[in-house]
Amino acid sequence: MSEVTQNTYWKSLNELAQNQEYQKFVEREFPENATELNDGVSRRGFLRVMGASIALAGLAACRRPVQKILPYSKQPEDVVPGIPLHYATAMPFLGNLTGLVIENHEGRPTKVEGNELHPASQGNTNVYQQATMLEMYDPDRSKYPLKNGKKVSSNDFVVFAQEFFADQNKKVAFISEANSSPTYTALKEGALRKFRNSSWVTYEPFGENNAIEGNLIAFGRRLRTHYNYSNADIVVSLDDDFLAATHPNNVEYAKQVTGRRKVTSTKDSMNRIYAVENGFTLTGSYADHRLRVKASEISAFANALAGALSSRINGLNAFSSVNNKFTGEKFLTVLADDLASNAGRSAVSIGLAHSAQAHAVVSAINYALKNVGSTVNYKEVPSFDNQDNNKAFADVVAGMKAGKYDAVVIVGANPSLTAPADLDFAGALKNTSQVIHLGTYVDETAKQASWHVSRSHFLEAWGDGFSFGGARSVIQPQILPLHDSLSEIELLNVITYGEKVSGYELVQNTFKGYYGGNFENRWKDVLHDGVDILDGYKTASVRLSSSLKPASTSSVDGIEVVIRPDASVYDGRFANLGWLQELPDPMTKITWDNVALMSPHTAEELGVESEDLISVTVNGTSVEIPAWVQPGHADGSVTLTVGYGRTGIGRVADVTVDSSELLGGSETQGGVNTYPLRKNSGLFSAGSISSTGGTLKIACVQDHHSLEGRDMYRQSSLAHYLENPDYASFLKQHTYEVPGLEEAKEKGEEKPITLFDPQLYPDSEPQWGMAIDLNSCFGCGVCIIACQSENNIPVIGKKEVSRGREMHWIRNDRYYVGDVDSPQSVHQPVPCMHCELAPCEQVCPVAATTHSEDGMNQMTYNRCIGTRYCANNCPFKVRRFNFFNYPKEYLTTGDDPDIIQMAMNPEVTVRFRGVMEKCTYCVQRVNRAKIDSKIKNGTPRPEDGAVVTACQQACPADAIYFGDLTDENSEVSKMKRNERNYLMLEELNVRPRTSYIAKLTNPNPALVEETNQELAH
Amino acid sequence: MSKYEYIPEPALVKGNHDFASLTKLVTDVNLRPTPKPWYAAMLLANAFLGVFLIAVGYLIWEGTGVWGLMNPVGWGWAIINFVWWVGIGHAGTLISAILFLFRQDWRTAINRFAEAMTIFAVICALMFPGIHVGRIWVIYWVFPIPNQMGMWPNFNSPLLWDVFAVSTYFTVSLLFWYVGLIPDLATLRDKATDKIRKFSYGLFALGWTGSNRAWWNYEKAYMILAGLATPLVLSVHTIVSFDFAVSMIPGWHTTIFPPYFVAGAIFSGFAMVLTLMIVARKIYGMEDIMTNDHMEKMNIIIMVTGSMVGFAYMMEFFIAWYSGVEYEKAIFILRATGPYAWAYWIMMTCNVLSPQFFWFKKLRTSVGFTFFISIVVNIGMWFERFVITVTSLANDYLPSSWDYYSPTIWDVLTYVGTFGIFFTLFLAFLRFLPMVAIAEIKAVLPQADPHNYDEETQEFHPHVVEVPQPKAETV
Repeated sequence: MSEVTQNTYWKSLNELAQNQEYQKFVEREFPENATELNDGVSRRGFLRVMGASIALAGLAACRRPVQKILPYSKQPEDVVPGIPLHYATAMPFLGNLTGLVIENHEGRPTKVEGNELHPASQGNTNVYQQATMLEMYDPDRSKYPLKNGKKVSSNDFVVFAQEFFADQNKKVAFISEANSSPTYTALKEGALRKFRNSSWVTYEPFGENNAIEGNLIAFGRRLRTHYNYSNADIVVSLDDDFLAATHPNNVEYAKQVTGRRKVTSTKDSMNRIYAVENGFTLTGSYADHRLRVKASEISAFANALAGALSSRINGLNAFSSVNNKFTGEKFLTVLADDLASNAGRSAVSIGLAHSAQAHAVVSAINYALKNVGSTVNYKEVPSFDNQDNNKAFADVVAGMKAGKYDAVVIVGANPSLTAPADLDFAGALKNTSQVIHLGTYVDETAKQASWHVSRSHFLEAWGDGFSFGGARSVIQPQILPLHDSLSEIELLNVITYGEKVSGYELVQNTFKGYYGGNFENRWKDVLHDGVDILDGYKTASVRLSSSLKPASTSSVDGIEVVIRPDASVYDGRFANLGWLQELPDPMTKITWDNVALMSPHTAEELGVESEDLISVTVNGTSVEIPAWVQPGHADGSVTLTVGYGRTGIGRVADVTVDSSELLGGSETQGGVNTYPLRKNSGLFSAGSISSTGGTLKIACVQDHHSLEGRDMYRQSSLAHYLENPDYASFLKQHTYEVPGLEEAKEKGEEKPITLFDPQLYPDSEPQWGMAIDLNSCFGCGVCIIACQSENNIPVIGKKEVSRGREMHWIRNDRYYVGDVDSPQSVHQPVPCMHCELAPCEQVCPVAATTHSEDGMNQMTYNRCIGTRYCANNCPFKVRRFNFFNYPKEYLTTGDDPDIIQMAMNPEVTVRFRGVMEKCTYCVQRVNRAKIDSKIKNGTPRPEDGAVVTACQQACPADAIYFGDLTDENSEVSKMKRNERNYLMLEELNVRPRTSYIAKLTNPNPALVEETNQELAH
Repeated sequence: MSKYEYIPEPALVKGNHDFASLTKLVTDVNLRPTPKPWYAAMLLANAFLGVFLIAVGYLIWEGTGVWGLMNPVGWGWAIINFVWWVGIGHAGTLISAILFLFRQDWRTAINRFAEAMTIFAVICALMFPGIHVGRIWVIYWVFPIPNQMGMWPNFNSPLLWDVFAVSTYFTVSLLFWYVGLIPDLATLRDKATDKIRKFSYGLFALGWTGSNRAWWNYEKAYMILAGLATPLVLSVHTIVSFDFAVSMIPGWHTTIFPPYFVAGAIFSGFAMVLTLMIVARKIYGMEDIMTNDHMEKMNIIIMVTGSMVGFAYMMEFFIAWYSGVEYEKAIFILRATGPYAWAYWIMMTCNVLSPQFFWFKKLRTSVGFTFFISIVVNIGMWFERFVITVTSLANDYLPSSWDYYSPTIWDVLTYVGTFGIFFTLFLAFLRFLPMVAIAEIKAVLPQADPHNYDEETQEFHPHVVEVPQPKAETV
């Protein structure tokens, strides 16, 4: 055996010690230094830090958590090498936990899946949850604490904190991320008790503070609004993109909303969704009716809606005198009628960023519609602060500016970047001598801090908390911390009590309090299930305040500038994750950059086109950013997203001019920082736009947005479907039958005649097939990231994407239908169709792509010579070619090698340069299930549901069905028997195994003419 | 007097040449000291060859990604260049084999020259299938070589047919060319004065003695090879067209492709022969052999094949409409009006419009104009392959996949570099081998027909054939 092979798998520290790289590391006094890290982009720099990273990763790989954690559902007697274990945990986002199950290969977590028992996941995930695996293995993560920028150890910090925080009279400002953890909440209370002169602010740049304050106005208490869309026949979103991952509870909501649109026969009904918004969001594209209005007019719309309802239902008298531009408009009237006639079965929501008053109006509407208790619940959340955190944050910043504090402790947040520009947080921070920052990256705040402490990733630290709706979970680590880091509770414990106590102990103490005598058993259960109680938050019984008034409105006459979190990088926290950066934005299909979205009409008025650089000015501050024309965007409104334009964060996030010889030429990558335009006043501000004359190439993966009258996407209204159940058939779409079908029927065959001999499939084998329900898919793109994570798909960078070489095995096509100003937008996931008469197989000169006996179109990487003929001949264009040695760039020289390699799935080959690849129907999962079934039942046909592809597993809309077509009772067979089932490009007679279930819309008959029409201005 | 009158063809060789002067005219090029301008030209060609080697080296080092290929467009310049060079090769075989079988004596002036062009063009063409694959180091897997994996290539794949078609074509063309060269190599051996030349020409002349038996064998071999090469002229480009026609991409999946590709190949091949001939005959003073009559005949062929190609373009449109297949209709409309309309209209102008000028005798006998059109035709034929390859892939079934293909500098350099290969070989050919088939051209001189040639007056009086008046009752 060669040395190389021996070193590939480390099983023990001893074995690793033989690794030459490791020996070099041991010999070096300092494994790496900060300057090397910070000079991010040069490849020589990577090579220099490489040795150390191998050692670090190697050490980490051997670090199985020492505390007892229990496998989730499969409990082998011992760990069998090559058989992954699955453990439950939960991911915090904006303080809310989503239950996850982590696939763990010999102590190395590799894949995130949803936890079926957890209400906020129900087995599914969103893009951030899928990408978090990469975050843990991010080689650019903060690896050790820094004292004034110099490397120290976490013990140094503990020693410092014990001494510094011994004095209880220290004035400390705590600025914390939202965190629902009961352990953390207790520590927070402890800290506030100990440091009597301290302030505590929960700061989230795009948090739910306004929603909470809105409920304070409406009901007199700070409550969380938790919808139950399962009960809602009418869903109204006022600029609330609750289907997007940027919403703290999107998986549960997506599950509920799409669950009400599962139509398996003409007997089923559907909910109806109305969306009113300025930009084109996922929720808007999924809605049956969408009205585009400026963000600054949303509160006026809410007032007008309450006003219109006041004459139809009781309890909204305060709004009866509302009269604004929306009053009397048809859309509003019809909406009010629909709501009034569905009182108790409707749900109205408004975007988190809108004002507290507007939230109060929406709460009042839901209250008056008697939706409370049915579709809306108001929850008491113990971790909420008893203050308006927006105001409190401004006060703390003012205090910092005045030099009031002895220390500022920032837990998790990055306010130096994300705080409203008019508060000048970064400037205020300079007036505090001790700034302690806990963070995942050495980010903008960390660079200003006197002490930066590396934060343990949730996959490597113990924690606890509640889901958005109140389900309680324990966060169970999957691996010992890769770096010298502390978790939030460990840090806060050190500051408050001066002791370094392990997170395990802290969490156990909290749960001992819950469980009392039965601790051992219930602890095992919560680790196993990932969730213990579902109603951790009490549902409040609410009464509407009598002093409620219409929300004050401040519409912007000229151009409004709307700033939102980004679909990929959120507020910037995910900016260094290549998977998310390269994930096409669900609506624009842009990767790697942020842009200024505007309507075609506004763009025309401004005289700009997509990719033209424009200067966006708000209150004298300007930012230069490329424009992008977004059909369906409200006129007079420009939407910007944040989180880009960073420096010194990491190799992926940083603004770089890519001039590597490999790619040739140079290209700016990394986007534009739009935070300087963000004001404390809220979501939008008045601004001005001017063209600067330049352009910036944007890597957009879809250039053509029209269906061109073709039939690959089929849809109809529910009413039309009820009369024409087979509307999606080829015959109904074309008025003639599939060519060759009639001739075949004369011969007694079911499928159109073909020149080729259809492959014979043995009876013993299952026959795999997939069905994708277009009525469920809302286009979030989690299938893409799940597939990328499962199948080791490389990240290739902006330059390569802009050349059209994206590598994703499943893509999500987005088409616009209708007029350019206010179109409908539809989403269609496209993986490999696994054609039975696959055109790719016919043309490969070396037979590298062939058919398996279980009906899958297989790709033999070892045999492929890379003629690309198969990709040319694929009518669906799903094949992806390794034009360069992408994995090499991604996994070795281009990045800190072994850390990122740990994120790779050991069951899937990493592809070399010059070979073709494509969706395999997750053949590794299929074969695992077949082997298991063969051992257990003696047949290679697994039970239905035993094989779940990565895309199917992740999909919160359950849009993807996969299974054995020879099993008549399998879910996929049932879906394929649905009359809406159709084959894309059926007339080509390639006989795809992947089919689509045509979309349905449920428009209000009263609005049919008005669908997606803009109000006259 | 008969009502049928024999009208003698204009003399194929002008300028009162006799056998000796012809031999001297042709062999002098090979035997005299190398002229300086030849070195300059060779240096330039070598520079381009160097460009090719660098471009290919970089390609192999970095990967196919150095080219502009991307997701919908998996084939770009490499395949375009391959088809273009193969097409150019066709003229040589057509001239030497088909015109030989049809006893077109005028071919003897240009067949050697055109065949050499064929072989070098096919060499250039063969570079591309070799280098365009992702894993060049396993390209041999396309050959049916017995191996320990027990894997044969996929005989269904048109790319595999290509491998066989082009390699057969190359082999037969090379043999045909070589067999034709044997008597001339012997001539050179006999005229050469230095040892090296004597030895090397002698080696390849295979001991040619000029005996009756040698001539008899030679004529038979030549005839057989001409017979073998003739179907290859048609089959090679037919099979190259199958690369496209057998696939299912709109704009590729077309039954008209085989004849249309062959016509296009002859069209471009003749243009290339003209380009080279007009320059070479001027430089080497061969205007007596490669006359303006030759040029005119070839121009007529260009006009005919160009019109055939134009007809094919129109038929493609018609069939797209007549078939009623929406993807088929869309791609042809997109070709003419879509993002690549510029390429389409370059193609139409160069290939359909430009050869129509040759209806005018004045234009088709004008050397300068012919040279210009010959270049234009080859530009047009390159764009034809561009339009076929790229536009079909870039705008196929699903509009979401549509994208715009642009080449990189490495695409361009690789193409430009192939001219380095071509001219390096061609210049070596001009320098070391007789560019005109000496033995054959002598056979078309009047002197070769001693019964009707008056040595003294140097006049040719063909035998007048008396054709009896047909009798009315027998008609």
